[in-house]
Amino acid sequence: MRKWLGRLWNAIRPGRLDRDLERELRFHVNERIDELQDAGMNAETAARLAREQFGNYTAQIERTRDMDIAEGLDATLRNVRVSLRALTKSPAFSITVVLTLALGIGANSAVFSAINSVLLRPLPFPNSDRIVSIAQIQAKTPQPNIAPARLEDWNRLNHTFDAISGYYTQDDSEASGDLPEKLTHALVSPRFLQVWGVAPQLGRDFNPPEERYGGPNAVLISDGYWRRRFGASPDVIGKTLRLGIYAQQLSYTIIGVMPVSMAFVQRNVDLWSVSAPDFPFARNRDLTWFLGVGRLKPGATLTQARADLETVQADLAREFPKPDAQIRPGIQPLKEQTVGGVRQSLWVVFGAVTLLLLIACTNIAALLASRAAGRQHEIAVRFSLGASRASVAAQLLTEVFLLALAGAGLGLGLAAAMARVFRVLAGDLPRVDEIGLDWHIVAYSLLCAAAATLACGLLPAIAGTRRTLAGSLAASGRSQVSGRRPASFMLVGVQVALAVMLLAGAGLLLRSFQELGRVAGGFDPDHVLTFRISASWGETGNLKASGQTVKRILEGVAAVPGVESSAATFLLPGVPSTFPVELNVAEGRADSEPKIIAESRIGSAGLFATMHIPLLAGEVCPQESNTPGMMVNRSFANIYFGGEGVIGKHLGQPSSLYFPSAVVRGIVGDARERGLDHEPVPTIYYCGLIMQPGLYFLARTHGNPVALGESIRRKLHEVEPGRSVFDISPLTAHLSDAFAQNRLRTVLLTFFALTAISLACIGLYGTLSYAVNIRRREVGLRLALGALRAQILRQFLAQGMRVSLLGCVAGLGLAGAFTKVLAGMLFGVSPWDPITMTGVIVLVITVSIVASLLPAARAARVEPMCVLREE
Amino acid sequence: MGTKKNDILQGTLVLLILKTLAGQKHMHGYAITAHIHAVSDQLLRVEEGSLYPALHRMEQAGWVRAEWGMTGKNREARFYSLTPLGRKQLAEEQESWVRLTSGVGKVLRYA
Repeated sequence: MRKWLGRLWNAIRPGRLDRDLERELRFHVNERIDELQDAGMNAETAARLAREQFGNYTAQIERTRDMDIAEGLDATLRNVRVSLRALTKSPAFSITVVLTLALGIGANSAVFSAINSVLLRPLPFPNSDRIVSIAQIQAKTPQPNIAPARLEDWNRLNHTFDAISGYYTQDDSEASGDLPEKLTHALVSPRFLQVWGVAPQLGRDFNPPEERYGGPNAVLISDGYWRRRFGASPDVIGKTLRLGIYAQQLSYTIIGVMPVSMAFVQRNVDLWSVSAPDFPFARNRDLTWFLGVGRLKPGATLTQARADLETVQADLAREFPKPDAQIRPGIQPLKEQTVGGVRQSLWVVFGAVTLLLLIACTNIAALLASRAAGRQHEIAVRFSLGASRASVAAQLLTEVFLLALAGAGLGLGLAAAMARVFRVLAGDLPRVDEIGLDWHIVAYSLLCAAAATLACGLLPAIAGTRRTLAGSLAASGRSQVSGRRPASFMLVGVQVALAVMLLAGAGLLLRSFQELGRVAGGFDPDHVLTFRISASWGETGNLKASGQTVKRILEGVAAVPGVESSAATFLLPGVPSTFPVELNVAEGRADSEPKIIAESRIGSAGLFATMHIPLLAGEVCPQESNTPGMMVNRSFANIYFGGEGVIGKHLGQPSSLYFPSAVVRGIVGDARERGLDHEPVPTIYYCGLIMQPGLYFLARTHGNPVALGESIRRKLHEVEPGRSVFDISPLTAHLSDAFAQNRLRTVLLTFFALTAISLACIGLYGTLSYAVNIRRREVGLRLALGALRAQILRQFLAQGMRVSLLGCVAGLGLAGAFTKVLAGMLFGVSPWDPITMTGVIVLVITVSIVASLLPAARAARVEPMCVLREE
Repeated sequence: MGTKKNDILQGTLVLLILKTLAGQKHMHGYAITAHIHAVSDQLLRVEEGSLYPALHRMEQAGWVRAEWGMTGKNREARFYSLTPLGRKQLAEEQESWVRLTSGVGKVLRYA
C-alpha cells in the first residue's frame, strides 16, 4: 500500500522525484570529484572528468526515474505515449478504426439517448412516479372518460391519493387579434396543478372563486403561447383573451404562465381554464368528459390505490346503481401510458444498433488480429527484452482504448446531431422534445468505448502475445507455408451471422411495409383533403343548431370549385383506431344467436360517396331525416343477418346517449376502418353529426387536394366567420403518419442491416487479402510446381465462401430468435417468410463472392518467379 | 572508459549489490560502486547508469530500503540498507549463481 502511495506520489509530483534523484546523483559526482582530486588532479579537470564519466546527467535522471515509474500506475502513461506513437505511425489504420467506432458508438449513443429520455428518465415533475392516469372502465364502450360528478366523488372518498383531477381539451378561437386564432384549450377540474406538482412560472394558480360555477373567468397560458403571442412579456398577467366557448365569446383574464415542462398529458395545449364541478350540467352521472390524473400519497402503491378506488366505486354503485354499478376505475402509471406504445420499437432499434456496434467491434478485432500478426516481430523483440506477456497485452489494449476513446468522442458529437434528427424524423414520439445529451449519455459512451476495447482488443491481445508465436522470432514470416488464421476467419463468420440476423429483421419489416402499401383498403384515399374546424363541447347542448352548422359547412365546402363532394367523420378511414360497441335489435333476436359486436363510426351521409365506399344494397341515409339512420358494411350484414335482411332493422343501445336506436338504411362495401393493417370487421356507420371538437371534414377534389386548401378556408370564412380552419392535409398524409413509427424503425433497421453487411464484407475482404499475402510464397511455389491458376482461385474463393456459408447458417439460427421479437410488428408476412430469408441468403452469398473474388484473383495472378526470387 | 571494462551482466548487478549491502548496515550508491570495485580487485566496475536504476528497482521490489542521511564529510546522501525480503532474495540469487557457474564450468571443462 505504501508502495502504491509512493508511486502515485511520484506520478503526480515528478518534480519531487527529480529533485531527489538529482541530489542523489550530484552526491555521487561530488564523491567522484573528491576521489579524483585525492589522486592529484586539479579541481576543474576532476569535475569535468567526473561529469564525463557519469554521462548525460539529465538522461541519467530520466532513466532512473523511469525505473520508478515504469511499474504500476505510470506504466499506463507510458503505454499511452508508446501507443500514440504506434498509432500515428499507421494513420490510415487508426482513422479507419476511429471512424468505424465513431459510427458504431455514435449511433448507439443516439438511440440510447432516445431510450434514456423517453423510457428511462422520470417525467419532468416532482416525484413523478406518483402520478397516475385514471380512467373509467365501462363494459359497452371503450371510452375512458370520467363523469365530472364521479371524479369529484373519487377525489373526496379515496384514502390513497393526494389529489385526483381531470381534464379534456377542445379547440377554441381566440378573437382578440386581427384574425381568429385556433388555440388548444384544456378544461381542467380543480386540483390540476396540485396533481402535477408544478406552479406557474409567472403569476398564480386558480383561486377558489375561479373554480366555482359563475366565478371569474381565469386562464393559465402555456410558455409557447406566451412567447408566440406576447413576446414573453412579464406584464401579460391581467391581460384578457376573448375565447369562443359554448358558442359565445367570453373574456378570460390571464392569471399565470405555465413552465415549459407542462407538456403533459397533451403536448400542444395553449390554455388551461377550470371546468367547474358545480356546473349544473356536470351533475349527470351518465355524461363523461374528463380524462383522469391523480397523484398518489407518498408510500401508496399502485395496488393499494387500485383496491382503494374499487372500494370507493363499490360504495358509489350502491348509492347510484344506475349507471355506477357498470363502472370500474382503471389506474395506470402516467409514464407507462405516455411511452408504453413506443417501448418495443425503441428497444428493437436499440438492439439492432447494438448488434451493429458488435459487428463494428468484430471487424476491428479482425483488423487488429491481422495487424498483431504483422507486428509479431516487434512483439517478439519486446518479449526477448524481458517484457512480460501482461505488459505487452496491456500495451496492445491501450492502443485500442485510445482508438475507442477517440471514436466515442466523435460518436458523442454524432449522437448530439442525431438527437436533432430524431426530433425531425420522429415528431410523434412521446417526449421527443426531451431527447438530448446529458451526463448519462457521456457515461454511456465511455462505457461503450470500454466495452468496445475489450470486444475489439482482447482476442488480438491474447492471440498476438502467445509465447509460442513470439518464440519463433526468426522463423516467422519467411518460411511460413499454410498460415491458417482461424481466429480472424471466425470473427468474419460472426460478423456475417450478425449481419444475416439484422438483414432478416429488416427484410421482414420491409416486406410488411410493402404488403401494407399493396392492401386495398376498400376506400380510395387519393384526392381527399382533410381539415378541422374549431368547435367547442358547449355547442353540443343544442343538437338542432349544431347539426345545422355541420350541414352549412359541408354545403359550403361542396360549393368550392374543384370539390367533388364533402363529408365529415370522427375517425379517418384507414388510420388505426377502434371503437367497438355492442348492439341490440329492436325487432328482437333469439338468445341462441351471438351478441352483436361491431366497430362503430359516425359520419355524414356524404362519407360513402366521398370515400368511394360502394353502396351494395338499400340506399344511403338521406341528407335530412327525422328518424336516425345507419349504414352497415357487408361483413356486418353477412355475419349477423345472413345478408340483406338487416335493412330496415332498428339497432342500437336503447338507453345510451351515444348510440340511440337507428334504422339500417343500406349495406356498403367492407373498408379497413380499423387501420390499413387490420382486416375489415363488422362495422356500423351512424349517419348524422353535430358540430363538436375533434371532427374531421373531408373533401374529394378533382385535382391535387392540397391546392384547394386555401379556397376552402376562404369559403368557410364567409360561411362561419367565427371559426378557424386548421390541420389541412391530404388523407394520404394521415395514413402515412399513422405508420410513421413503423416507417422510422424500418428505415433505421434497413440502414443498420446494410451497414452491417458492408462491414462484414470489408472484414471478409481484409482477412482473405491478408491470408493471400502471407501465403504468396506458398502459392508461387505451387504454381512453379505445376498447379493451375484456376485451382488457386477456387481454393481461396472456397475459403471465403466456407466462412460466409457458416455465418449464414448461424445467422439464420439467430434470426429465428430475433424475428420472434418482431412478430408483433409484422404485417402480411410470417417470421419465417421464405422470400425474405432466401433474399437475405442470396444477397449475403453474392456480396461475399464479390468480396472473396478480388483477393482470390490476386492470389491466382501471383508470378512464381517473382515470389521465389524474393527468398 | 576503456575497452577493458568489465560490464556486469544485468542480473548479476543485483546480486552484487545485495551481497555488498549484506555486509554493511547501510551504504550510499557511491560507496557501493567503490566497494564492488575494490573487493573485485578492480575487475568489476559498476556503471552509474546501471547502478541507480537497479537500486531504485530494488527499492520498488522491497529488497532495499533507502533514507537520506549525512556522510562523514557532512554531505547529504541517500543510504541503502537490506530488508528481510532482500536477504531472502540474496540467498536465492546466490544459489542460482552458484548453480549457473558450476554448470558453465562443467561445460567449459568438457569442451
